[in-house]
Amino acid sequence: MRLVADGLSHGFDGVAVLDGVSLAVEPGEVLAVVGPSGTGKTTLLRLLALFSPPDAGTVATDAGDAWALSADERLAVRRRIGLVSQHRDLFSASVARNVSYGLHVRRSWGERVRASASRALGRDRVPDRVSDALASVGLADKADRNASSLSAGEAQRVGVARALAFDPDALLFDEPTSNLDPRNTAVIEGAVREARDRGIAVALATHDMHQAERVSDRTAVLLDGECIEYGPTERVFDSPGDERARKFIDGELVY
Amino acid sequence: MLDGIFADLDAAYIVSIVLVSLYVSTAAVAISTAISLPTAVVLGFTDFPGKGLVTSVISTGMGFPSVVVGLVVLLLLSNSGPLGSFDLLFTPEAMIASQTVLATPVILSVSLSAVEGVGQELRDAAFAAGGTATDVSLLVLREARYGIVTAILAGYGRAISEVGSVLIVGGNIALTAPDGGRVSFTQTLTTAITIEARKGNFETGIALGVVLVALALAVNVLGARFRDGGRGAA
Repeated sequence: MRLVADGLSHGFDGVAVLDGVSLAVEPGEVLAVVGPSGTGKTTLLRLLALFSPPDAGTVATDAGDAWALSADERLAVRRRIGLVSQHRDLFSASVARNVSYGLHVRRSWGERVRASASRALGRDRVPDRVSDALASVGLADKADRNASSLSAGEAQRVGVARALAFDPDALLFDEPTSNLDPRNTAVIEGAVREARDRGIAVALATHDMHQAERVSDRTAVLLDGECIEYGPTERVFDSPGDERARKFIDGELVY
Repeated sequence: MLDGIFADLDAAYIVSIVLVSLYVSTAAVAISTAISLPTAVVLGFTDFPGKGLVTSVISTGMGFPSVVVGLVVLLLLSNSGPLGSFDLLFTPEAMIASQTVLATPVILSVSLSAVEGVGQELRDAAFAAGGTATDVSLLVLREARYGIVTAILAGYGRAISEVGSVLIVGGNIALTAPDGGRVSFTQTLTTAITIEARKGNFETGIALGVVLVALALAVNVLGARFRDGGRGAA
């Protein structure tokens, strides 16, 4: 699924955070959204995940402008998009219940009642999807653990599994490795690549230039809410057109 | 010695009082909970002008004098009152109404703070995983479950041990059973104790008091266990 931002502007309490950002998250590609902290990366990803309508501009998928759709149609679009946040945000339940949450809410109420009965009888198929998702982040053996007992890195990987379990067409990562050690970072970057290879449209917000260079196909550089550079990662890193982008990439711009 | 004191207790009478008490308090707490949980979710996650005032009023309600609540419900249900046609005055249902009014601020305000304690990042995670507003609300209630059980038990404690309002709207009525013994109609543990003590029937009063204290203690022990459970899982 293509996810296209066109002229997105957004602010909070009269303070502009995003100013006319246009970019596209393409299927089978990783788009890195880089920029210093507080530059609007999280706001951009939340708008792409249809958390709220932008003040101006559009977010469109193959179904058209998402905010021109009916609420039901928009819910259907939204349920094809996953978002992994940078915060620890697991529910106080087992790892398996966390990962199956997206599958659970996609069932109708009648299905949920039947599924509860099936689970009690051990006949539910959800566990397969859950163990596949957990296996892709290397946590297949942790399904029965309580989420509160996990380390920060494991918790973040469960967050990724929770988004993978409902088989999204677009997957947005908001600085998923900002607090993690190299090993957990490598696992999550592996999951990012695997998602791309499965044809998912992936966006990865990061302030780690090396990470952007390692995993992305295209890069957008955000500065003060503006997209100052956008193109193939190699081109953006080797010969940025914008002087501020060049300085940021070279680590010269100090904030 | 205790055998001597409690020798001529009317067990059937005491059981009928306990049953009326449990019926009235349980029904009132069930209604209060049904009102409070959706209200707590809505109040907890919306901002509107005057929200601070609303939550202050709810907190104040926790300490509202029960006799005043009884008086207001009495006026509402009396023959000339707006709800007089329902003919509820001096029935267990009238007592349920007044105890609902008393328990709701307790349950609402304790569950409100539990709901507000559920972080924004968890609600966002539920939304991002495809949850609708209803799904997110249910998730919040689930995350706040220990606080909510504490709230319900606190409301139960307030209802079961309350005297003033049930005395006014229930009338503390005992009927005469076919076998000549007494049977409670609107007598609860608390109101029966007041009348038995006044009549000098101390053994019945003490027996009722023991049951009441045991119930209140059970509610508190349960509440403490849930609070510990909440800490253990956090």
